Amino acid sequence: MIEILLNFGLPILIMLIAFFVGSRIEKRHFEDIQNREEALHGFPAVSFEKLPADWKVGSVDLVSGSVVISLDYFKRIIAGLRGLIGGRIKTYEPLLERARREALLRMTESAKSQGFDAVVNVRLETSRLANSARNGKGTAGIEILAFGTALSLS
Amino acid sequence: MSVGSSQSVILSNTESIPGRQIVEFYGVVTGNTVRAKHVGRDIMAGLKNIVGGELKGYTELLQDSRKEATDRMIEQAHSMGANAVVNVRFATSSISQGAAELFAYGTAVRIA
Amino acid sequence: MKFIPRKPREGINVSDVHPLAEAGALVAGLSIIFTVVAVALFYAVELALLSISVETEVQLFENWAPDDLLSVSADDERKTQAQEILRRLVAHWGDAPYQFRLEIVESDVPNAMAYPGGLIVVTTELLDGVASENELAFVLGHELGHFRNRDHLRMLGRVAVIGLVFVAATGTDGGAALGVRIADIAQRSFSRGQESAADEFGLQVVNAEYGHVDHSWNFFDRLNDGDLRSSKFIAYLSTHPSAADRSDRLKVLAHDQGWPLSGPTIQLNWINISSPADP
Repeated sequence: MIEILLNFGLPILIMLIAFFVGSRIEKRHFEDIQNREEALHGFPAVSFEKLPADWKVGSVDLVSGSVVISLDYFKRIIAGLRGLIGGRIKTYEPLLERARREALLRMTESAKSQGFDAVVNVRLETSRLANSARNGKGTAGIEILAFGTALSLS
Repeated sequence: MSVGSSQSVILSNTESIPGRQIVEFYGVVTGNTVRAKHVGRDIMAGLKNIVGGELKGYTELLQDSRKEATDRMIEQAHSMGANAVVNVRFATSSISQGAAELFAYGTAVRIA
Repeated sequence: MKFIPRKPREGINVSDVHPLAEAGALVAGLSIIFTVVAVALFYAVELALLSISVETEVQLFENWAPDDLLSVSADDERKTQAQEILRRLVAHWGDAPYQFRLEIVESDVPNAMAYPGGLIVVTTELLDGVASENELAFVLGHELGHFRNRDHLRMLGRVAVIGLVFVAATGTDGGAALGVRIADIAQRSFSRGQESAADEFGLQVVNAEYGHVDHSWNFFDRLNDGDLRSSKFIAYLSTHPSAADRSDRLKVLAHDQGWPLSGPTIQLNWINISSPADP
């Protein structure tokens, strides 16, 4: 009986904790992202490199922002179950969304704090961090990297 | 985070440096580093994995590693007499369990 | 070209589904699929097992015994007597296809079980509980009835599928252990129809052997009257038809078949050695 309890009770307990704490973390993160985006509103960050004719470029440097993020245990289980059936893995969407926005924010904030006025040619890259669990098939986290060329306008 | 600017080499992921003229170009420069996860960080990340959210240990680890790769690329460019690297790209690949290669490359140029 | 800062609408990249709703839908959906597969497997295995001929079954299970029989008690004296009673009963089956074996297993639950290949297992508690040869003969005849209707094969399938389903559902040894325990209970609980059919055959061979069916259901009557006060017997009752129902039904059956309802009691030798209601 104890073995059964450990096998079922413990994961369910962890799932519940993961669900409540994970949901809270996610909610707070989205609020934080929105506030910071609000603060950066008006700072140009674009994915092309052509500049408006009236921009006179001063200094130039590469800037980047990155984040490694992971899904909570509850959502990971849900994603795993969804994987059995197929279809849209909805629980992963908020994770990737907030990670991309976080990475972009970090890049833009870094550019702004260094005195730049815009970031052009922004690129986003996603990579999976393999976990040693399950023969390296497990995912320890997902890294999103945002980088671009920061410009100061004179 | 600033990836470049530590030395007198300007980095850009655009094809040219905005507002400047490329006068000479020398070829592709690369920088890489292969890093394994830190045991201590791994344990913390494992715990953080339960509730989800950012794994700060890993974020920093990858940032440091990418900085190292970039520095090596800059060193190559510097050794070629370049003062800028344009069209910089980054790549990450999992090599084995818990180890990742971080790779940076671009074209070394001299700008005026 | 002019830069005008604008922001996209919030939430476009995120499905508006609560994770708990998603979890509920997934668990429900997967449970339904799992149940359907399990039930289908259940019937498929039963069908497959019943299609095995008796000859093949005997060949396959000739020397087979379930693992828990490794602790078979060396109850030689009672075993020899019970085997002798069984042998005489089997003689009334006509050409019985099984080479019946009888084993006694140490247990504090009164029970008798039919296993594939013609193995009948009787627990020590049941041997302590029966007061006469007539009572024991009916228990053995009842088990023979299960063999004739091949209920033991259905059970084997049930045990196998329940075990498999539990392992699949939980993916753990703990789950497997739970499955085995549940399968063990299921194994002891044939359906009511199967029990009645086995009773009928049991009574028939008892009548053929002794010329009457008296005392056959005394064991169940005592269980019902609470003479066997030990609560352990409740376990037996819980997996078999109600004792009162059962003896009533048996009386009606014997009456309809014209089997004599009264006759002499044959004592068992070992009754003198150990008292039946000894707690």
